[in-house]
Amino acid sequence: MLSDTVIAPPVADLWKTRHDKTRFQWSSLALMTPAFGLLAVLFLIPMAYAVYLGLTNLTLVGPTAIKWGFTGTQNLIRLKEDTTFWSSLWTTGFFIVGSIVGVVVVGYGLASLLMRARPWMRIIVGGIVVIAWMMPAVTAGMTWYASTTGGGTFSTLLGIPNTNFLDNQPLLIVTLANIWSMTGFGMLVMGAALRNIPGEAIEAAVVENASAWQRFRLIVLPLMRPTIIAVVLLVALLSLANFSLIYIMTQGGPGTATNILPLYSYEQAFTFNNLAYGALIGNVMVIIASIFGVFYVRIAGRR
Amino acid sequence: MSDLKTPPPDALDVAGERDGSPHLPPENRPTQRTAVRSVTINTMLAAIGLLFVAPMLWLLLASVDSHASWGVEWPHFSLINFRHVLTGSLLHSLFNSVVLAVVSTAIASAAGVLAAYSFSRRKIPFKGPLLLFILFSSGVPLTIMVIPVYEIFARFGYLSLFPTAVFLSVTSLPFEVYLMKNFIDAVPVDFEEAARMEQASTFQILRRVVVPLAMPGIAAAAIFGFVNAWGSFVVPLILISSNNQQPAPIALYTFLTLPKVEFGNIAAYSLVFCIPVFVLYAASARLFREGFVLGGGVKG
Repeated sequence: MLSDTVIAPPVADLWKTRHDKTRFQWSSLALMTPAFGLLAVLFLIPMAYAVYLGLTNLTLVGPTAIKWGFTGTQNLIRLKEDTTFWSSLWTTGFFIVGSIVGVVVVGYGLASLLMRARPWMRIIVGGIVVIAWMMPAVTAGMTWYASTTGGGTFSTLLGIPNTNFLDNQPLLIVTLANIWSMTGFGMLVMGAALRNIPGEAIEAAVVENASAWQRFRLIVLPLMRPTIIAVVLLVALLSLANFSLIYIMTQGGPGTATNILPLYSYEQAFTFNNLAYGALIGNVMVIIASIFGVFYVRIAGRR
Repeated sequence: MSDLKTPPPDALDVAGERDGSPHLPPENRPTQRTAVRSVTINTMLAAIGLLFVAPMLWLLLASVDSHASWGVEWPHFSLINFRHVLTGSLLHSLFNSVVLAVVSTAIASAAGVLAAYSFSRRKIPFKGPLLLFILFSSGVPLTIMVIPVYEIFARFGYLSLFPTAVFLSVTSLPFEVYLMKNFIDAVPVDFEEAARMEQASTFQILRRVVVPLAMPGIAAAAIFGFVNAWGSFVVPLILISSNNQQPAPIALYTFLTLPKVEFGNIAAYSLVFCIPVFVLYAASARLFREGFVLGGGVKG
């Protein structure tokens, strides 16, 4: 059935099907099976399973690790009354919004400045920012921990060696670290889009006496809009799941100051052993990510 | 260069050569302002560059310092840190990382290229919705599925290196399919038709025609998959139960939990861990720039 190709169908069948259009070939099914099989088994099934898991009393250890079952809305009521969850949601919101603003503003600024900079400046500064982006999250977390802790680079350079920025402003510092590690991505994507803006459009505006601000607002911004929205959504999605950076730097602390949702989910599941409740918090993340994801598909699918 | 508020009427004639145009009266010549602007731009860039490089200083200095701490100081130059981290269990963790990343890349790229080819060339029912699903899951970080996957793997006794590599391949698969589809779309279909005339099978066409022609895209996708698996922290942390199967990111984290923190070793190991990523990105910088404009990126 899954014949490899349909090169030459028997002559007798030729009249049955139209040959001016591509037809479905059974071998396509064989080609699609590995990818969609993997996605079904390790993405769709776990997602469906998590919905059920979130409404059970499964724990990592203890009696309910073996004998567990459906507990209905019990976990949902617990979630509703869980103040740590709600504060974690706010922390996540600050982290995501801060990262978006930082990456878009700094990334756009860098991209447009680099276009007009000296070539050697472009290579050095662009290179540094891209290296920061390439650095794996674990390493980025380690360098930022070292730089912002008491006696670290920033406090030494600012001449206040005993100030521990990471303890004083934990959420701000991890957000800055995240901006630092994603700006390169925003810079590259927005830089490519900036270079694609036709020079004639800008020149025409100059001839029409448009000020720099008008040129930005009326020409550059509308043309850049889809790119900027795509960057916003991708930064939101990547920040939402950025477990590694914060786990290395603060492990969600001090207290719950940097406890964003992926860390709280992990903490509930594997530190407090409430696997089911951790899965439920994971489901909240899936819902948030899906909202961003749907908007992303609408923006990126259009191109 | 172009912030002249009131260009004289004849500026229209010289729109192509505004800078230093002889038609402008001397006081309106933009050369001096251009110079000031150039200095401003380059100074601003230098400041941003310094801010970005500052956190990296510790990494570079501490890695070659035999007396390193969290602070930045002029190092007591020595390569002893690198010698320490390239032995024993730390070297073994790097080896685990290589296995994890290679297996995951191989699975994702092989499955990805087949799916990308059929998306690009074949008539498939529900092609539009399936492509949107691929696009959707390339943006949504699939690592948030890790708790249900943990529960499934735990039940089957799969909490080890190879199943984890398979899960990591799934987290990069959608973006790889999307990237490779765009590259295969750009390959002219004529070569395949010629091969088909010669009675080549689909597999032969893929191996001899499509894969070689779309190689830059496949390489970019594979590099993306490799870097994604290489840098992954939370997935192996949760899904690998045995200590001697843990990859390098977990080993790096373990440094922080030891009673005596070896600062120099942390920095040296971090650098060693970064090197493959930097080399791979550099090797495919051009491919990647094209790829990232088209789609998204997943990291972590």
